Amino acid sequence: MARIRFEAVSKQYPNGYVALKDLHLDIGDKEFLVLLGPSGCGKSTTLNMIAGLEDVTEGNLYFDDAVMNTVPPHKRDVAMVFQSYALYPNKSVYENIAFGLRMRKHPKDEIDRRVRDAARRLEIVPLLDRRPDQLSGGQRQRVALGRAMVRQPQVFLMDEPLSNLDATLRISMRAEIKQLHQAMQTTFVYVTHDQAEALTLADRIVVMRLGLVQQIGTPDAIYERPANMFVASFLGNPSINFLEGQLAQENGQLLFRRGALGLNLPPHMARRLAGQAGRAVVLGLRAEDVEMGGVQSGGDSLQGRILSVLPVGSDQFLELEVEGEKQFFRVGKEGQYKVGDNAALRVNLNRLHLFDKQDSQSLAG
Amino acid sequence: MKIHHLGRRTLLFFASLLFVLYVLAPIAWLLSSSFQSEAEITSVPPHWLPHQPTAENFAAIFQARDKVVTYENRKQGDSATGGFIPSTAKNLLPSMWNSLLVAIAVVILNLLVSVPAAYALAKIRFIGRTSSIYFMLTTRVIPDIALVVPFFLFVQRLGLLDNLLALVITYLAITVPFSIFILTGYFESLPDELDKAARVDGCSRLQTLLLVFLPLALPSLVAVVLFTFLTSWNEFLLALMFTQTPASQTMPIVVASFTSDFTISFSFINAAGVLAIIPPVIIAILFERYIVSGLTAGAVKG
Repeated sequence: MARIRFEAVSKQYPNGYVALKDLHLDIGDKEFLVLLGPSGCGKSTTLNMIAGLEDVTEGNLYFDDAVMNTVPPHKRDVAMVFQSYALYPNKSVYENIAFGLRMRKHPKDEIDRRVRDAARRLEIVPLLDRRPDQLSGGQRQRVALGRAMVRQPQVFLMDEPLSNLDATLRISMRAEIKQLHQAMQTTFVYVTHDQAEALTLADRIVVMRLGLVQQIGTPDAIYERPANMFVASFLGNPSINFLEGQLAQENGQLLFRRGALGLNLPPHMARRLAGQAGRAVVLGLRAEDVEMGGVQSGGDSLQGRILSVLPVGSDQFLELEVEGEKQFFRVGKEGQYKVGDNAALRVNLNRLHLFDKQDSQSLAG
Repeated sequence: MKIHHLGRRTLLFFASLLFVLYVLAPIAWLLSSSFQSEAEITSVPPHWLPHQPTAENFAAIFQARDKVVTYENRKQGDSATGGFIPSTAKNLLPSMWNSLLVAIAVVILNLLVSVPAAYALAKIRFIGRTSSIYFMLTTRVIPDIALVVPFFLFVQRLGLLDNLLALVITYLAITVPFSIFILTGYFESLPDELDKAARVDGCSRLQTLLLVFLPLALPSLVAVVLFTFLTSWNEFLLALMFTQTPASQTMPIVVASFTSDFTISFSFINAAGVLAIIPPVIIAILFERYIVSGLTAGAVKG
């Protein structure tokens, strides 16, 4: 049906700005793919290229083995939802939704059937005669979704559709979009800078930065086994804690050493990095991968001076100064912590991340 | 507090009243004097409302077609008491027709050229886009009178002297840059994503322009229509240079010729003036709703 393939695709604008470098991407049929990254990473450019709104400078874009580089957007079977919804201001909601079908010359009764069907599903039937300026943000967003849905396209494209909504609405709309994907059984390509959104919605995530793909994988794979420091820091809230240090061989045990801190590497990592004592590395430790009650100078103990204690209802966050660096950790709210005290935490050694200091790549393999 | 507001309101009211009187007074006199005889016009103090209203000036305009005014019979009417007809009177109605033809042609051609140009300049990123806009605008910095000789040579080479086409072509040259400027500004204020949405929905670039952008751009289209119509309707210098016979003379030329006649009949000229302002007034009434919003480039929230 709709298998989209990018083969060595690059995008450069006339003024010399390179938006995308050598993209290789294979989007499976009916997949929910999320393009994730900060502003300027090239995710919207990639989406626009699938739609045909941007030209491909180099490389080839395939829909099911047909080269689509020069096919204009109105000849592609894609539908798009925009961040600002882009509803036609002088048309009613009904006309907004029906417009795409009218342009493609569907018969009148079929248009009516599809529009009312979509309106029912999105619960906007009473709004059909209104104009966009008479709707709330959430309602406009549903109309934008409806406009894309009725087309029953091969590919659904979404460019940060939830960014303009308030927080509660955003979370409920995420669930609805997920349900929509299940119901429509179509390929979804979704662009966002919100890592929580990506983790919730995606079958696979493509993490991008400055026009280059950093990692492609399932949410779990990307979260648990980030390919480099950027991916590790981009996903996860709060951000992962980094500590520079070295590999050291002590008492037959390969470990991460920084000053007084020594953390034993788990067996599979120790095997991979055997004999590399002295290598400069960066340790990545997520805030949730610790527990209270570290044994002093055990191979899994982390100590530091407490700089602040931040209760958050079900847990508390500790800001510790560990070997000169500020680190955030999350612990249960049972422990009593006071600013200025020394705290000892036990690290879950299986959840360590190690990165090469020079090129930021993961050493976990 | 209330008195302060009241005082401010009355001040604004009277200031506006003064301004309105200032603007409308000449037109009121124009209307009033066109219904007065020559004798009454010169009375002191002036009669703002005609004491003896007469339609003889208008009658003269419409009858002048049939009458041939010669040196001998020009004094059939007496300039002091009225009924005096300028020797070129019979050209007035044909000249108004010429003016109308030229103005309508210029408006239509302006729209045909500047709408696609504005869309391309506003929404398509091509090399030389910014310099095109600036180049077009700078052409309007040159005063028209400096262009008369080049235009004349151009028109003469084309063999279009004394032809309405000469006026249409030259008026396009002086109105298209500004039309493009107005429309580009307005199109740029329309969201880019609207353009993208339309194209993904199935519109080619042309369909996007016609079905999505044009309906939204009505205020600025009206501004363009008004501007080009009024410019062509009132244009004097180029019309003077390129038209020689009544076949192609436009209204400003003929009305001006009334004042360089054997004797001047003000009531007649003012009656011609009233006829001359009728088409622009009609257009203004038709498009009243769009005038202000079109001239101040509006933003459309999508």
